[in-house]
Amino acid sequence: MAALLKAALALPVLALPARAGAIESGEVGLNILGYKERGLMRVTEPVAWGRVELADGWEVKGSAAVDIVTGASPELVTNVSGKPVQVITGASVDDRRTIWDLKVSKRLGEWTLGVSGARSSEEDYLSRAYGLEVKRDLNDRNTTLTAGFGRAADRVRSHDDPTLDEPRDTREYLVGLTQVISPVTVVQTSLQWGRGEGYYNDPYRHTLTFYPEPSVPAFAVDTRPDHRNTFAWITRYRHHVASHNGTFQAEYRFYRDDWGIHAHTAEIAWSQGVGGVWTLRPALRYYTQSQADFYTPLIPQPQPAILSSDQRLAAFGGLSPSLRAQYQHPGGWRFEGTIGYIENASRFHAGGGGSEFFETLRAYYAIVGVSRTF
Amino acid sequence: MRVAAALLLLGLCACAPVAPYQRGYLARPDMGFEESPGMAKTQEKVFVAKEAASGSGNVGGSGCGCN
Repeated sequence: MAALLKAALALPVLALPARAGAIESGEVGLNILGYKERGLMRVTEPVAWGRVELADGWEVKGSAAVDIVTGASPELVTNVSGKPVQVITGASVDDRRTIWDLKVSKRLGEWTLGVSGARSSEEDYLSRAYGLEVKRDLNDRNTTLTAGFGRAADRVRSHDDPTLDEPRDTREYLVGLTQVISPVTVVQTSLQWGRGEGYYNDPYRHTLTFYPEPSVPAFAVDTRPDHRNTFAWITRYRHHVASHNGTFQAEYRFYRDDWGIHAHTAEIAWSQGVGGVWTLRPALRYYTQSQADFYTPLIPQPQPAILSSDQRLAAFGGLSPSLRAQYQHPGGWRFEGTIGYIENASRFHAGGGGSEFFETLRAYYAIVGVSRTF
Repeated sequence: MRVAAALLLLGLCACAPVAPYQRGYLARPDMGFEESPGMAKTQEKVFVAKEAASGSGNVGGSGCGCN
């Protein structure tokens, strides 16, 4: 934790404005995430973040985090016991991931230009990314158009194979619109494309299939296409109900890619003010996806060149209720906490037809945070 | 294409402009799309590693070995 705080304080988001002596307003915060899958892994993640607005329309924001992952991760899918199941074959996972990101933006009249950078480092994965963003306010700032470009250059490695060091490059494009509909309603919609190429295989995942007739069982390493083109349409809606001191929040995302996956994500939430300093936000999130063309928990005969038994590529759905509570102290301190439950299951797939052998995932998470505005 | 058309129509909708003095409610944190930035971003990570879909309306984020 001390190292994290030291890293956070070293961030330009905190140090540079202080030297400049031109901070107009800002906010710094620290969150801690705890995530636990039933019978599998546990994740703890402290996140330090900050945002400052400077004179002359400058804004700087950034964050630094450490993911601490422990527990077990399934690496083999086999039907040795009859039906295909995930089996934990390796030693328990004990991994750390460090992440930081920084974004600097500058307002020039009705234009806002932004540049961002991000880095994520694990023992077996390295990602370096940058982004460029342009915003244009129109219609007396009732309408905002956004365009963005991002690029990530990743390296995929493996604990098990020191010779593995493969690239994965992704380019992202974004156009968006934010529209004020009325004094109590605003909507934002964005289109996002991703063009990726490189190494997408999971170096730890394998499939072992036994056949009914006496024959040699088949063994396959996870092999995926060397490209992935994605499209997402994200729409967010906010409507304040003054008579109830609450705000209705809704989000919807449509996603599809050239691996054959179509997905829908919807979330609704109600943010209720209580007594001037408290806010309660119950939310319900629903997710459903079709399976990738090459997903199979059993190795077909003849064996295809591309296949994966990773059940995150299966057809399933998920339900996730959550509750957030926030206390806003008049002195500028804010304390907040979120608890949530996730259940991903075949039966939640929209319209039925989820993957037969999908193993239900049940997970709990909690996030606590403290922040201060200045 | 239909999505792009819908986006364009939304942008050209005949919404009456909201004057600055009418924007008190719009300035509330729960009306923003980055409400409680640290909290929302942390919560989003919980789902990213367990689902195939991605896309949060932002570009330039780093990748992850978890997916």
